[in-house]
Amino acid sequence: MKGRSWGIAIAVAALGALIGTVQVTGSATASGAEAPGSTVTLTVGLQQDLDSPNVTAGYLVSSYELWNLQYATLTDKAADDFATIPGLAEEWTASEDGLTYTYTRRDGLKWSDGEPLTAEDVAWTINTSRDQEWINHSATTANLTATALDDRTVEITTSVPDPKLPIMDVYILPKHIWEGPAAGDITTYEALDGVGSGPFTLQEWKPGQEWTMVANPNYWKGRPAIDQVVFRLYTEGGAMVAALENGEIDAAHDVPADLFVEMQGRDDIVTIAGEQGGFTELAMNGMQGGLGDGHPALLDLNVRHAVAHAINRDELFERVALSIGTQRDTLGVSANTEWNPEIPEDQQLNYDPAAANQLLDDGGYLDTDGDGVREMPGGGQKLIFRYAERSESSQSAGIRELVTGWLAEVGISTEVSVYDDTQLTDVIAAGEYDIFVWGWTPFVDPDPLLSYFTCDQVTTDVESPLYNDANWCSDEYDALYVEQNQELDHARRVDLVHQMITLFHNEATYVVLYHDADTQAYRTDRFEGWLRQPAGVGPVLFSNTSPTYFNLRPIGAGSGGEDDDMSTGMLILLIAGGVVVVGAIGYFIMRSRSRRDEKE
Amino acid sequence: MASLVLLIGFVILAIITPWITDRADFNAINTGDNPTNHPPDGDYLLGTDRYGRSVALQLMWGARVSLFVGFAATVLTIVIGVLIGLTAGFFGGWIDSVLMRITDWFLVIPFLPTAIVLAAVLERSLWTIVMVIGITSWPSSARLIRSQVLSVRERLYVDRARALGAGRLHIVGRHILPNVTPLILASATLAVPISILTETTLSFLGLGDPTEISWGGMLDQAQQSSAVTSGHWWYYLPPGVAIMLVVLAFTIFGRALEEVLDPRLRKR
Amino acid sequence: MRAGFVIRKVVGALSTLAFVVVFNFFLFRIVNRDPVNSMFRGRNLKPEKLEELRRKFNLDGSKWDQFVAYVRQLLHGDLGYSLKGSRPVATVIGEALWPTVLLVGTSTLLAMIGITLGYRAGWRRGSAFDTTATSFSMLTYSMPEFWIGMVFLGFFSAKLGWFPVGGLEDPGSHASGLSKWLDELHHMMLPALVLGIAYVGEYMIVARSAMIETLNEDYLQLARAKGMREDEVRRRHAVPNARLPVVSLSAINFGFIFGGAIAVESIFSWPGIGQATYLAVRGPDLPMLQGLFLLISAGVILANLVADLLYGKLDPRVLGR
Repeated sequence: MKGRSWGIAIAVAALGALIGTVQVTGSATASGAEAPGSTVTLTVGLQQDLDSPNVTAGYLVSSYELWNLQYATLTDKAADDFATIPGLAEEWTASEDGLTYTYTRRDGLKWSDGEPLTAEDVAWTINTSRDQEWINHSATTANLTATALDDRTVEITTSVPDPKLPIMDVYILPKHIWEGPAAGDITTYEALDGVGSGPFTLQEWKPGQEWTMVANPNYWKGRPAIDQVVFRLYTEGGAMVAALENGEIDAAHDVPADLFVEMQGRDDIVTIAGEQGGFTELAMNGMQGGLGDGHPALLDLNVRHAVAHAINRDELFERVALSIGTQRDTLGVSANTEWNPEIPEDQQLNYDPAAANQLLDDGGYLDTDGDGVREMPGGGQKLIFRYAERSESSQSAGIRELVTGWLAEVGISTEVSVYDDTQLTDVIAAGEYDIFVWGWTPFVDPDPLLSYFTCDQVTTDVESPLYNDANWCSDEYDALYVEQNQELDHARRVDLVHQMITLFHNEATYVVLYHDADTQAYRTDRFEGWLRQPAGVGPVLFSNTSPTYFNLRPIGAGSGGEDDDMSTGMLILLIAGGVVVVGAIGYFIMRSRSRRDEKE
Repeated sequence: MASLVLLIGFVILAIITPWITDRADFNAINTGDNPTNHPPDGDYLLGTDRYGRSVALQLMWGARVSLFVGFAATVLTIVIGVLIGLTAGFFGGWIDSVLMRITDWFLVIPFLPTAIVLAAVLERSLWTIVMVIGITSWPSSARLIRSQVLSVRERLYVDRARALGAGRLHIVGRHILPNVTPLILASATLAVPISILTETTLSFLGLGDPTEISWGGMLDQAQQSSAVTSGHWWYYLPPGVAIMLVVLAFTIFGRALEEVLDPRLRKR
Repeated sequence: MRAGFVIRKVVGALSTLAFVVVFNFFLFRIVNRDPVNSMFRGRNLKPEKLEELRRKFNLDGSKWDQFVAYVRQLLHGDLGYSLKGSRPVATVIGEALWPTVLLVGTSTLLAMIGITLGYRAGWRRGSAFDTTATSFSMLTYSMPEFWIGMVFLGFFSAKLGWFPVGGLEDPGSHASGLSKWLDELHHMMLPALVLGIAYVGEYMIVARSAMIETLNEDYLQLARAKGMREDEVRRRHAVPNARLPVVSLSAINFGFIFGGAIAVESIFSWPGIGQATYLAVRGPDLPMLQGLFLLISAGVILANLVADLLYGKLDPRVLGR
């Protein structure tokens, strides 16, 4: 009968649990004895898994951190100010025409697996990435040709003048590992080889859980003081913060804003609001591409200024961003703050509902039918703007509620639709919106972000969307863009960029709401030597070149400590196990007794 | 009948909320001076959230959305179920086979994952949620109605009506529908709590309409703002308790109704 | 078991699977969305490169071509690529499978305690035990399972600190053998308990009504007349006869627990199918979601088939139908 097999199953389970209970004490002490001292582990909590360890396939921030640690570059960037400093190359020279650079690599370079790192690895990476258009390389290498002159020297030639050279910050890959995968579709390579030239290399990746990187003994600056770095994933920020507070992890990236603010009072934890120029903007449809059906009122500069005046950016920054980041009303074009201009006071578009109403009244946008919503001059179409909300940001609901409330107060109504990033990209490309709120994160060089707002980047074919999501452009801006792109005098270039940003601000197709910050926190009792990049304002983790990790030193012998919290839960587990065992044994005995009764 | 009282109480509260409270009171532009993440006290019966919005007010307004979705989705479920069940049961033959094959497909494929993928590819709105629930939960009511129609059809007076030359539509309207109505009513009452629970789960997964506040949406916001791990219990306990009470009340009432209306159940 | 019965059931299951495949394809392709642009926002890719990426994600060609390609891929066990990087969907699902099997399996075992409780409740209908058990199951039925999870997490992990706040094992754990086993058990305790509590009531209700159904059967009276003790009558005659509905419930519940695990796994950061679904929905990562839906559906269809066949084996009367 089935009843009997049940009893046996339970008994077997109980026996297993019993054996488990007996052995726990032994194993607990054993692991306790071997853990401290032997390996120095830095554990970093985050909420975004790697997308791929393969640098030709991944594109998420988390993966960049992996590559920053695993692959060294020819030229490096200073932690303080992004100044170009020697990396794998110890020196370089430029030709007279500025089109050819010759780099000399350090002596005795080795990959983490012991193979020599030569000029051939460099040349192969640059040429192959150009030919195969690797997504994270080709923006830099598209116009380059590299030749290994000898074992230590590589010559790089650009086909067009490039102000970014001699910076060569692409990840150099080990040819002996990647040559095979590159023969087929390189993006399908799993890249779990863990061979690199940076301070740490990938040891193990448990998707959805964590990945572990170990110190590279062959790193050209020497072996790091930390033995391994564990990147631990959390699906929810609060859980990550709890783990940081009880010492399960040493540092955390992307802490929820509320919890970040709460943690600022603790003396065992340092909070870092790291800025890299990323910003959040409210964009109005500039309708330059001739696609879609943007609201005609938005073509009027005064209406755009009225919208800007209606929005209380101070309050948004305080209540939505919880004052984390910087209040700034201009484009962030670089992680480096020197590119940020100050807008003259008389051109600023600050919160001023009265001014907004005045601008709209003067322009003839009146509410003639008394329903609280203005109409186009002379009656007709109402000022009802379609507001596209982005679902993939925790702040967008708060921004929407405030912004639509303020717009209503100056007689502008809104219709809200919510889109994920893919849908929103489509809606913007098709021009079927009036307002959206999204953001950008720039590179170190301002050129890419500035290029997005040129006429070349305005989408004119729905099928092939381009980057200009302001859907606005002007000849004046484009002329300045070309000029800065060829200006080799740094101070002059900075000035040109300031002019461009000011011009873009005054056009108000973008109302920059604030500059965001990465919210990070680390414990003070484990490691010292945390580096912000750039100095003073940048993040300590997930920065442009991630210099922190190599710089960290453990404090004293402190490690472990998680076992205290575990004991209660473990105790309950053991008691539960015990109850199951006793109960099952009792059940089994009773069954066999009643069985015996039946037989009699 | 405590369940019925509770139900009526919730419905009345949902209906009168716009008269006794002001939606603008928890619009973020008006809550700038309120304390944020504030535990319950005399001023805020259920505390406030990160924007200083009263949780109690959100709970009251959320009842409207949750109940609306619950009722609307149920209506849709029952309409589809009745149409298919009636057609299959009345016509029989190959129509019945085809319809029941489709019904079986929908019965077997898992309900919640189907609702999730449907909601994920469609636009975020209350109507999407209503539609998704309707599309995924009609099969059991269709089966129920069909079997009932089959048994009614076999009864004598339908035969007599047919003998008298009554049209098919007439038979359905006059004889079959009145006979299956009690059953429809009972199964509708039991479908409402399932719809409410489904709405809750979908909204919690971020598939709800973010511009409307529902109980599931509140739980999602609580989760997104780490209310659980930071001890802001007043943000996630009340919506859960409200859902539990409404679902419990509907279920108890529905079962009671079923026993009264379905003679087969009463016999036991 | 008659071969005809088995064949009919298997064909039925296959037709359902075919339906899911078609439904799945059109559901996701009808929206015809091109995620490639937003994925590479701000990355300065050439149009040709974007075109190549679209090909990789199977976003080119006519609908019919796409469908044929999709079915051909499926037959090769290829579920396409996740939008999160270029990882094959099948690989990601494969990694997430074991944690979910572990969690859903454990919680199903826990919930099955409800069967025994239900038999007892049904046997002594109207007793205090019955009332308590029925009220409890009504109560757990009324609570969203993820909400139970939130409450447990808030109380036992965040407030009392008895259990970890999430995950499968401790960070950086390279433990093996028994300590790994204990570590995972420690992490699994709360989510398994939550799912167990959420579904124990359902088993109880079905077992209870199945028992009540058999109460009036003649053979019970016969057994009593033969002088059997009540306890024995219940165990040897009533329970075996009340087993049938419980078997089919277990299969149907399998699907429900899978569904419930979506939100619960995400609450406890449990790296299984549920969390993968949650992340795919939040992404949204449609190829991933498509693969997950297919897998979950296939799992549930299989469970139903097994239940049908078991039913046929346990109750020969079913064969005729």
